[in-house]
Amino acid sequence: MASISSRRLRKELNEINAEGCPCGIKLLNADNFEVWYFSIEVLGESLYQGEVFKLMFRFDSNYPISSPAVQFVIGPDAQAPIHPHVYSNGHICASILGNEWSPVLSVSAVCVTLQSMLASCKTKERPVDNDRYVRHAPENPKKTRFHYDGESV
Amino acid sequence: MAQVPQRRIPTINDLKVKLCYICREEERYDAPEVPPRAWTHPCNCTLIAHEACLLQWIQSSQQNRSRAANALKCPQCGTAYVLDSKNPLLLRLMNAGNKALSTMGKFVTMFGLTFVVFSLGTGMYLISTAYGAYALREFVGKEMFDILLTDDPSNWPWHSFINLPLIPLALTVSRLPMDIGISPIVPVLLAWPTSSPVNSRDPGVLDLWKHSTSLSKRGSHPALPNWPPPPLLLGLFIYPVVRSGYRALRTRFSRWILNSQAEQGNGPIQRVVFALNDDGPFRIRIGANLEDPAAERQPRADGQEPGGAEDAAANQGDVDALPDEAAVAAENTIRVSGTSLGRLIGGALIIPRISSLMGSFLLRMSKHSYILRRLLAVRPPLPFGMVPPALPPWYDEKTWRAMSSAKRLGVVGVMGLNVMWKGTYAWAECDPVWWRNSLGLGLFTVAKDCLHLLHLWLTKRELESRRVKNRSFEGVDIRELDLINPASAL
Repeated sequence: MASISSRRLRKELNEINAEGCPCGIKLLNADNFEVWYFSIEVLGESLYQGEVFKLMFRFDSNYPISSPAVQFVIGPDAQAPIHPHVYSNGHICASILGNEWSPVLSVSAVCVTLQSMLASCKTKERPVDNDRYVRHAPENPKKTRFHYDGESV
Repeated sequence: MAQVPQRRIPTINDLKVKLCYICREEERYDAPEVPPRAWTHPCNCTLIAHEACLLQWIQSSQQNRSRAANALKCPQCGTAYVLDSKNPLLLRLMNAGNKALSTMGKFVTMFGLTFVVFSLGTGMYLISTAYGAYALREFVGKEMFDILLTDDPSNWPWHSFINLPLIPLALTVSRLPMDIGISPIVPVLLAWPTSSPVNSRDPGVLDLWKHSTSLSKRGSHPALPNWPPPPLLLGLFIYPVVRSGYRALRTRFSRWILNSQAEQGNGPIQRVVFALNDDGPFRIRIGANLEDPAAERQPRADGQEPGGAEDAAANQGDVDALPDEAAVAAENTIRVSGTSLGRLIGGALIIPRISSLMGSFLLRMSKHSYILRRLLAVRPPLPFGMVPPALPPWYDEKTWRAMSSAKRLGVVGVMGLNVMWKGTYAWAECDPVWWRNSLGLGLFTVAKDCLHLLHLWLTKRELESRRVKNRSFEGVDIRELDLINPASAL
């Protein structure tokens, strides 16, 4: 019997395939139930007009009890958006990925939240502690204990 | 569901399709799962879940400190989940006890840290105070120390607990390269002369003194009226003036000594620049007036090594040949770390001992010179057990009562000014060990600076007189050499 996480992920995948992703979000790769990739862009008026980012979701076997590890992919074809809650290594400081995570959320709900986080951005800048964080950041953003300040996203 | 004949509020069992918000699995009412799994609707909105899924979620979030706040409420409507469990009084008591213990643990941690910091601070304070007492004793002499302070800290006046621990600090600061202008002697001279003598706990001694004759008749050398200089004058005016005057003189003198030598030098090093740091060590910058830049670097590199080696060996010489400003900065940094730091502090803390030794030296010399005796204002020790009072002996209760209140005020004012200026009567009556120690320390400083200057001068002369010894080709195969006249060689 497949684990709870893979059964739930299969359902989410079926849903995405049947109904499609929300606007501006595309599923790039979901070959297994451990890592999924999405492309994400902000539609309409925003500071990120014309920019396309790549999101990586990593699931452990306790999903959805435990939150997915979500980050922007840095690579030759992708960069992290310049945003006060996004570190230059792609890690995202968002409370719904940490202590505000709930199993009622889903992969596409997280995508939509991050999309609106980008859309509502007023100034393109890195977090103030970016350099310090990036120097010591763990590989998996879930191992970071972010201090969420300002609006919870 | 509204078609149900009886008007009752529907429950979870009335749903056609149940969808768990956690695992996203469905169960239709006409296709029940086998074996059946319990469902629950814990809140006020439409979310429902398998009871097992929800319990797992609650349990896992409760184990995470940052998520525990959200564990027991609906993510959609925020309604608090109500758990019904075997939670007897005993378990609740134990939980409460556990919580209380961990709170107490935090207090213990904080208390422990405070204690460690506090005891370290206290230790430093005690050591500094003990050192300060030692330094004062070295500086003012045993006789005056026994009158002003004594070995028993319970006799000490209140200000000694501020003044004494600051002494090692002030000594160290005074040795730092920057010129703060604070001399360690000044606070000692300002605080102690005005301090009243520690009351002897034996009243008989005081009585003895009161009935004795005036102390000024004692002693074979009547003291000059204003000699030694009043401590306030010495600390506030004479000392700073002498100090800055001496420094200016020293700077000019050493510049003269070292520069006049530099013009005579005609070795490979053509130009020697002395950077004179007012209080700190001298830095010698050496540049060569040579065309070839590669050759220019050579004497510099050579010059650096002996300078550094001698610096370590000699007491005061920080003689370095420095090629550029960056090296100056680097050297400045190095001076305050490692062995230099120990040297700085050690050198500072030995000052009272040196000053005491120099004072005894002056005292011994004064046996052979009347002028020196007058200069040092040496006095024989007080009779054993005698403690002079803070105020002059002509003061007593009888004259005091005879005065009018205006006159009393005047007398008190004059006496206060007198104490401020000259120190207490006790201070003035004692053998002024502090005075000869101050003079001794001054002599020592001059001697030390002369030695330092000599060291600098010798180092500089060594650098300027440097030549590389020229050798013949003895031992080299002559065939390898391209000689002008090969026939003349063997």
